[in-house]
Amino acid sequence: MREPPPTSCDLPVLLPFRVSRTRTRFALHPAQAWLLGAWIAGLILVVPAFAQGSDAVRSPFQVVLRWAPLLLTGFSFNVAISLVAMLLGTGAGVGLGLGLLSEVPVLRRVAWGVTQFFRNVPWLVLLFFVMFLVPFQITVFGLRVPLPDWVKATIGFALPVMANVAEIVRGAVSSVPATQWEAAESLAFTRRQTLFRIILPQCLKRMLPPWMNVYALIAMATVQASIVGVTEMLTLTAQVHAAEGGRPELFAPLYGFALLCFFLYCYPIDRLTARLERRFETA
Amino acid sequence: MRKPTMTFLGSGLLAAAALITSSLAIAADGIEGIKQRGTLIVGVKADYRPFGFRDPSGAIIGLEPDLAADVAKRLGVKLELVPVVSSNRIEFLQQGKVDLLIATLSDKPERRRVVQAIDPQYYSDFVNVMLPKKAGITDWAQLKGKPLCATSGAWYNKEVARTYGAEIVAFDGSEKPLFALKQGNCIGYVYDQSMLQGKLLDADWKADYALPLKGVLDAPWMMAVALGNGSLQTMLETTTKDWMKSGFIVEEEKKWGIEPTEYSKAMHEKYKNATN
Repeated sequence: MREPPPTSCDLPVLLPFRVSRTRTRFALHPAQAWLLGAWIAGLILVVPAFAQGSDAVRSPFQVVLRWAPLLLTGFSFNVAISLVAMLLGTGAGVGLGLGLLSEVPVLRRVAWGVTQFFRNVPWLVLLFFVMFLVPFQITVFGLRVPLPDWVKATIGFALPVMANVAEIVRGAVSSVPATQWEAAESLAFTRRQTLFRIILPQCLKRMLPPWMNVYALIAMATVQASIVGVTEMLTLTAQVHAAEGGRPELFAPLYGFALLCFFLYCYPIDRLTARLERRFETA
Repeated sequence: MRKPTMTFLGSGLLAAAALITSSLAIAADGIEGIKQRGTLIVGVKADYRPFGFRDPSGAIIGLEPDLAADVAKRLGVKLELVPVVSSNRIEFLQQGKVDLLIATLSDKPERRRVVQAIDPQYYSDFVNVMLPKKAGITDWAQLKGKPLCATSGAWYNKEVARTYGAEIVAFDGSEKPLFALKQGNCIGYVYDQSMLQGKLLDADWKADYALPLKGVLDAPWMMAVALGNGSLQTMLETTTKDWMKSGFIVEEEKKWGIEPTEYSKAMHEKYKNATN
């Protein structure tokens, strides 16, 4: 507590409330930092000990280093799939969410059905569905448009994102006190104006943390695309393992590298989400 | 809410998926289609050293990509390699996503019903046993009564046990039996010769292990094109015979560090002096 600044009057006054800024620094908890450090140290120091003996055999660390550029290219595919799926899914999901709030019963029921369906089926099954039913190229007005595997996987992941975002939108809108609707109505706003000018702007803050949660889940789920043959990080990891002769001692370092990449990508998102949640907490 | 367009986005995705599905994929119409496109698209393995695997730049290299490159060269078109796995390779060919499969595809009667096989088969796998050099085993008969590591579910396990009297000790996958072999739990590891040869490319195994026995129970691998793709089929049959005549496959085996198989040597002998 600081001394109040000297004022010209001696009367007790109420000083303006000072908002202390939440720091947005990513601090690792000591235990977490220790774990991460131990992992990296293990990779660098302990694991190569396996390979002592013959010089011709590359140490696991050298193997990871040698293949890191290729594996990171694969990882960038995972990131691309998750980002595009999120973009498509959010666009469709906002529409679907507004459909859930519609005053037209038919529209509301259809939107409800679509949301429930895509929220309650396994992502992997949806992925299989899209991969095997959508052809590898489509002909639009005589123009052949190729649909590479990763694009199809993106559509497959966008579907559950859509349903989850719809539910986030619906939840956020209904969390705004009903009095706001009433107040807006009394001020002669139309339903549409109320929704777009009053309710939704307030919802953005509330929707952000759960939306980021969905993103982190999708980012981690993209490795499922390897099951349907998309050349992403996990597929490449398996192929690299085979190219290095499938030595059992390479299994942990190679897949560990994939784990580390995803962790380093998703952990900050998770921290940021938690921070935003605290910050936006409505009292 | 008068925002039906927005909602349509959601159900629109579904509808689009349904629409797209109904439009059938167009397979390249034989050699003409490939030449028009300017690329030959070949499905190969990317996890089967040395037949098809990745190099650190991400390119797929190996014996089968080399064969594919030769086919593309003969057609005078560029080559595009698509990595396939066992579970999707037949579908890729049927969909027309690849023109040709050279992907360690064993010749099976049920496969011949769904794809067009190319005869003669370009390669053949065998069943063989990886043995420690110091074991001194040179004949299958010496395996009698000895414990032999194997992968459970392999079709030849029973056959090997019955014919040669070895005691099969089966494990899941191929890592566990290899580990058991290193630990000395069995005298050798009976598995696909092509895979064992790939293992022996590793300095790790090469030092102490070898394949001293002659491969048995040959299982030919076939190239495949889509059913009804007659022109490409004819071209590939001629090409295969040409490879056998010139000894291209034997050379390729040597290039990738594997001992030429009985099959490729025999086929080379057979076609070497053929006039066509």
